[in-house]
Amino acid sequence: MSANNEPNIVAFLCNWCSYAGADLAGTSRVHYPSNVQVIRVMCTGRVNPLYVMNALQQGADGVLVSGCHPGDCHYMEGNYYARRRLGMLKDLMEFVGVDPRRFHMSWVSASEGHKWKEVVEKTVEDAREAGSFEGFRRRQIDW
Amino acid sequence: MSAMLLNKEKWPDFVGKLTGKQLWAPQIKDEQLRFAPVAEGEEPALDYKNTRVPPKNVVFPQTETLFRFQVDGEEVDEPKLDEEVVLLGVRPCDARSMVIVDKLFSWDYDDPYYARRRELVTMVGLACSEPGLNCFCPSVGGGPASTEGLDLLMVDLGENYLLEAITEKGEALINETKELLEETRDANLEQKEKVINEAAQKIKRSIDPEGIPVGLPGLWEDSLWQRVSASCLGCGTCTFLCPTCHCFDIQDETEGFESRRCRTWDSCMFEEYTLHTSGHNPRPSRLERTRNRINHKYNYYVDKFDVIACVGCGRCINLCPVNIDIVEILKQVKEAL
Amino acid sequence: MDLEKLRETAAEVVAREDVKYLIGWKNGSYGYRVAPAFIEDAEGAAELIFSPLCISNLSTYLTLVEKLPLPRGQEPDTRKIALMVKGCDSRAVTQLLVEKGIERDGVVVIGCPCPGMIDYDLLAEKYPETEGLSEVKWTDDGFLVIRDGEETNVTRDELLAEKCRLCRYPNPLISDIMLGEPVETWEPAEDKGVEEVDKKDVNGRWAYWEEQFSNCIRCYSCRNVCPLCYCQDCILDRLNPTWVNRAVNFSENTAFNIARAFHLAGRCIECGECERVCPANIPLGRLNRKMAREVRDKYGFEPGLDPEAEPFQASYKPDDPEDFIL
Repeated sequence: MSANNEPNIVAFLCNWCSYAGADLAGTSRVHYPSNVQVIRVMCTGRVNPLYVMNALQQGADGVLVSGCHPGDCHYMEGNYYARRRLGMLKDLMEFVGVDPRRFHMSWVSASEGHKWKEVVEKTVEDAREAGSFEGFRRRQIDW
Repeated sequence: MSAMLLNKEKWPDFVGKLTGKQLWAPQIKDEQLRFAPVAEGEEPALDYKNTRVPPKNVVFPQTETLFRFQVDGEEVDEPKLDEEVVLLGVRPCDARSMVIVDKLFSWDYDDPYYARRRELVTMVGLACSEPGLNCFCPSVGGGPASTEGLDLLMVDLGENYLLEAITEKGEALINETKELLEETRDANLEQKEKVINEAAQKIKRSIDPEGIPVGLPGLWEDSLWQRVSASCLGCGTCTFLCPTCHCFDIQDETEGFESRRCRTWDSCMFEEYTLHTSGHNPRPSRLERTRNRINHKYNYYVDKFDVIACVGCGRCINLCPVNIDIVEILKQVKEAL
Repeated sequence: MDLEKLRETAAEVVAREDVKYLIGWKNGSYGYRVAPAFIEDAEGAAELIFSPLCISNLSTYLTLVEKLPLPRGQEPDTRKIALMVKGCDSRAVTQLLVEKGIERDGVVVIGCPCPGMIDYDLLAEKYPETEGLSEVKWTDDGFLVIRDGEETNVTRDELLAEKCRLCRYPNPLISDIMLGEPVETWEPAEDKGVEEVDKKDVNGRWAYWEEQFSNCIRCYSCRNVCPLCYCQDCILDRLNPTWVNRAVNFSENTAFNIARAFHLAGRCIECGECERVCPANIPLGRLNRKMAREVRDKYGFEPGLDPEAEPFQASYKPDDPEDFIL
């Protein structure tokens, strides 16, 4: 989290829907929080749960994974796999004590620029409420 | 060197005197006995056989930063090692292990980190009066009241502890706490002998290492290695919990532009340990790794430093999940010789 | 179980030409210890035992044995491995079949119906180990501990291992040879361990696991003992990319433990081995059982029951729960 209490968010967006959706939000001049660092992946199905862990370890206060609506996956079924896996990950992280507000998943299609804005606002708001996640940072260099 | 008596009633005061320095002692944390720093007002638990994890991480931390640097910078930032540590309640086997490991870290190259930490530590030992089930220290050159590696030895005499200074550091510690101590009488020294003899009687397991170091090379291809390694899981429990195991791995860890070089414990029981960049692994299976563990302790180390790299603390026997028992292995080795 | 029959059957199995060796349990070197036995002949078969101390899951050895390159001209040994399994262990075998980690033709499964195993730590605390071998037997309502010739009757409740209290499958679900009659199943107890953590709030849980994971010494015995952790190239050993740093600190330990538990979600058959072998006493079983419970409740899936099932994380249903999606 930066000095002015702005959370860092890492977002993994699928190439075909959510990335295009976020693009549309930009070209349509929809304003949304600038805390999000977008990483484009080909499909949410290739988001390794360790990406989420590593993002949190390396300084993210919240992580968002967003892809095509069920049934719309460019690769037919990638988002179904992602839904199952990341749903499990969310449960596991909650059990370990990672605030559930730090991890979100959403379906945003290429035409949903406004939904993208809502999703980002919600993610940032939640991460801000959850606060800085210093406890899990990798950079706890102790002598 | 002097010997003094400490009445157990004055024990809290004695500990209180030491907490001025960084004091490490066995404590029960999370239902487990371990060496941990003693905060003011806390009391160490001394009624124990031995800790699960040996105190080697005081002088050889599991993860140690060697230096920090900026990826685009030119300077390195080295750790300042200047805090004196008193290690209280060390068992003689664990103290002896440090003397054995010293030889390695000051062999062809003096390891400055290890040497510095060794200098800063004062070891106050506690002789064993109730040895554990798997202790076999007398077989490998130790004993329940061995003073090797210790600065001060405490012996539990019932109402009192007998404090014997072994080195200058120990003498200094006695001087610091002089007002709490009493002079010893001859009867105390006799009592000490009795306690130690009784403890030695209680040690049930033993091996005779005679002939093992010279004999091991001849058993390189023996079928016994297959037998003893078949059930090995390849985990690092035996080596990480061994007080004399000292292998480490050095890694650079970089986050953005900040980087550090650190060393962490490594285990010869891991597949990754000997893996070459080419993909070739000279110790491809658990058989070779188990053989190496025994050979390193009972052959290579003896060759190089003239001492067996095993202090007989029994930790690897106690905690091996599949009952691989080093005493049994050595018995089989003896039979095969 | 009749030990004579067990040894006789084992001798017959290892005498078969298509069997390489049999993995079972034998007495360990002292006290209550039991060691895995790799039996190749009738003489070895006479050492086999099956007692309340045989808690370890031997199916891990099916995938642990290294597949080394063969010298030129040498044919691979395709003989079967015979394996003694309890109810929980048999689920590991099934799950390995599901994941094609082993082939059905490659194993001879010898089923041992299991009336429940003893928790070693509880036993050793109440009746300290001695240097001689001790024996424990099942009685009608508990265990008989024979230590230095001294016999003690102990109730089942006193010493039963946690995983066995929660057990729902004491009888092997897959076997080629079944030893003895199936035991009567019992009402699984409530999972107090998971509940204890579950009822804390999110910060309490973090604090709880922080304490636990800080103790981890990263010996990887939990990974190695697990019958379902058998990747040739484990992410924890990877250096490029380095998913988990080698440094041992809370952050890395947590990442490692989450990764391990996650990779077992929908695969863990709750044999409790990870928890048993942990030298730092981390209650790893709680993580695994929590995930197993989620998988069962939310997705209606249980691993290790049906060899024809699809692996949980490599399959999906269109109507999987998605209430967590924004």
